[in-house]
Amino acid sequence: MMVWLPVLTAALPLAGSAAAALSGRTGWAAFAAVAGAAGSLVLAVVVATLTITGAPLASAGAFVYVDGLGGFFLVTVAVVVLLASLGSASYLAVEERSGQLSARRVRIYFGAFGLFAASMLAAVETANLGLLFILVEAATLASVVLVPIEGRTEGLEAGWRYVIISSLGITVALVGALFLFYSASALPGSAQSHLAWPFLLAHAHQLAPTALRLGFLLGVVGYGTKVGLAPMHTWLPDAHAEAPAPASAMLSGALLNVGMYAVIRLLAIANRGLGTQYGGRTMLIFGFLSVLVGAVFMIRRRDFKRLFAYSSVEHMGIIAVGLGFGGVLGIYGALLHSLNHSLGKTVLFLSGGSVALAYGTRRTDRLGGVTGAMPWTGALLVGAALAILGAPPFGLFISEFTIVRAGLQGDQPWLVALLLTLLAVAFLAFMRTVGGMLFGAPRGVHREPYLGAREHLLAVGPSAVGLLALLGLGLWIPSWLNLLLAHSVALVR
Amino acid sequence: MQELTLASPGGAILSLDAVLILLSALACLGSKLFDRYLTYYALQSVLLAVAAATAAYLEGDAALWVLAGLTLALKGWAIPTAARRWLVQRLELKRDSGITAGLSLTLVMATALCAFAYLAVSPERIAHGLLAASVVPISTAVVLLGALGMVVRRHMVAQLIGWLVMENGVFLGAITLAASFPLIVEVGIFFDLLAGFLIMLAMTTGLAERISPLPAGRSGQDS
Repeated sequence: MMVWLPVLTAALPLAGSAAAALSGRTGWAAFAAVAGAAGSLVLAVVVATLTITGAPLASAGAFVYVDGLGGFFLVTVAVVVLLASLGSASYLAVEERSGQLSARRVRIYFGAFGLFAASMLAAVETANLGLLFILVEAATLASVVLVPIEGRTEGLEAGWRYVIISSLGITVALVGALFLFYSASALPGSAQSHLAWPFLLAHAHQLAPTALRLGFLLGVVGYGTKVGLAPMHTWLPDAHAEAPAPASAMLSGALLNVGMYAVIRLLAIANRGLGTQYGGRTMLIFGFLSVLVGAVFMIRRRDFKRLFAYSSVEHMGIIAVGLGFGGVLGIYGALLHSLNHSLGKTVLFLSGGSVALAYGTRRTDRLGGVTGAMPWTGALLVGAALAILGAPPFGLFISEFTIVRAGLQGDQPWLVALLLTLLAVAFLAFMRTVGGMLFGAPRGVHREPYLGAREHLLAVGPSAVGLLALLGLGLWIPSWLNLLLAHSVALVR
Repeated sequence: MQELTLASPGGAILSLDAVLILLSALACLGSKLFDRYLTYYALQSVLLAVAAATAAYLEGDAALWVLAGLTLALKGWAIPTAARRWLVQRLELKRDSGITAGLSLTLVMATALCAFAYLAVSPERIAHGLLAASVVPISTAVVLLGALGMVVRRHMVAQLIGWLVMENGVFLGAITLAASFPLIVEVGIFFDLLAGFLIMLAMTTGLAERISPLPAGRSGQDS
């Protein structure tokens, strides 16, 4: 029933790839990428709405399968893709004009960008664990092309580390899928259905527990590598720092969530088959380790994009902690936090990209008084920094607060104290670095990168929209979103 | 492969083959020449193809025949050949100087990992007497040895080969533990494409570094 709708949602961003391949003009590729992304966001909202009003949209074998959880992540990814493709249009126009990127490279960028977006959207629309595995890795491969595109040797190095560690992770995830499949082998039904998530969830009690435990653990390690959960995060800061800013936004805001989506699907099976304690404890261990690593490595970081990248490690940790606390509140908070983090990190990377273009450096010790030289971008950065650190009235405050409340309901309140301490460390480390760059005496040579009102609007607009959405989510959660989240929570508990 | 026991002739061939695959992984770890790495990897892949063909014959499964053929053609021939031509020859790689642990220490660690694999996936966990009970610990050991290779070696090409060895271990486990795993051929093809992509990326990176090498110690350093 209506399976073509999700398929079309995932296919639309390919318009940018097609335009980049067929047309010599880079402007066309950018336009097609934006148009495709806008179309797929509209469709994603329609698909998500259908999932909360009726049954999941599913094809045979669950190759296409969108339920509330899938719909929620679909919308999250689609929002980031749209904002990042708008950001790409202005960022790459500047880089092409300044001669930093050749027209051919810009076309390669948009070609890979479309494939990257399409495979991420498709990944959250399948419940076949084999296909999920292939799509997540396809998204990674397409994104690897974006990392070294600016042609620095550091970028190539970062790209290599990214792809080799990801490949290692995905191999572990495959072993996990094998064990999960094996755990179902005594059940009736076709071999194909033993890899379908709805079947596994429905029969979670009957799965062989030892194989299920191994499958879940290996899956969390494998997909956790994509999520950047410590200690599998080592590739993340390099890749997110070296990629062009809009691509960094996609990596941090969308791809990490897609990895987390896979982890959540596995967690749901484990919760039902093994009881919530086993899965919860696993998530808490990885979560706290990630928050710790993220917070500690944010101290005295001098490259602001690396700082943002470590902040992503920290936030993925917070999401894992929320999932680990569990219960309605914990899972609700974790899911909401993944949407909020995506918006906040997208705004940070896009605005940060404008700063890097204007000053020609990402080093915060060579930057100062950015708010004076670039009032709009500076103001957006201040807002996004406060938002990402969980200051009210932005959305991240609400989701972190929900996670903390979930922790207080459990029997280990000292974990909440630990979490709050680490968040305070992260707050100070982040603000110290970013504050020095945004305020204070002017430092560095500022050259306005954008020409004309249209480019200015394209550069500032997406960030402004993202920040406003974040503000809105802090004040009021629309009933539509609330319903979607409630559907998702019911699936995972 | 529920009914296949260790005592049957097919089972004996498969477990002997698995042991040889483990030995080739150890040989790869014990070597210092890039050329040797590839030779042992190619040998291991041919052995894996034999294992897949044996399983295919015993199971009468067409998908496994396809997997055996693909393994022989791509992993046994195409990938080692491409890696030799585009990486070892074009980048003029001879001796691997980026080994962080000495060979003897590496082999001690390798032995410890084999023991660990046997204990972690102890045969009691898989129904008694089945072939998988003897092969899955071996395949786990191969996976761990591949990962060890990626950890102790810093050179890109050595890491790539470590990953390829790891992947062979995964597929050895897959054909004995879950022969009916759907998409096994598709996943196999996907991994081969990934290997091709990695070889291209390693070549690009290697060539770029020869033109403008990074200052020593820069890589991986936080700033």
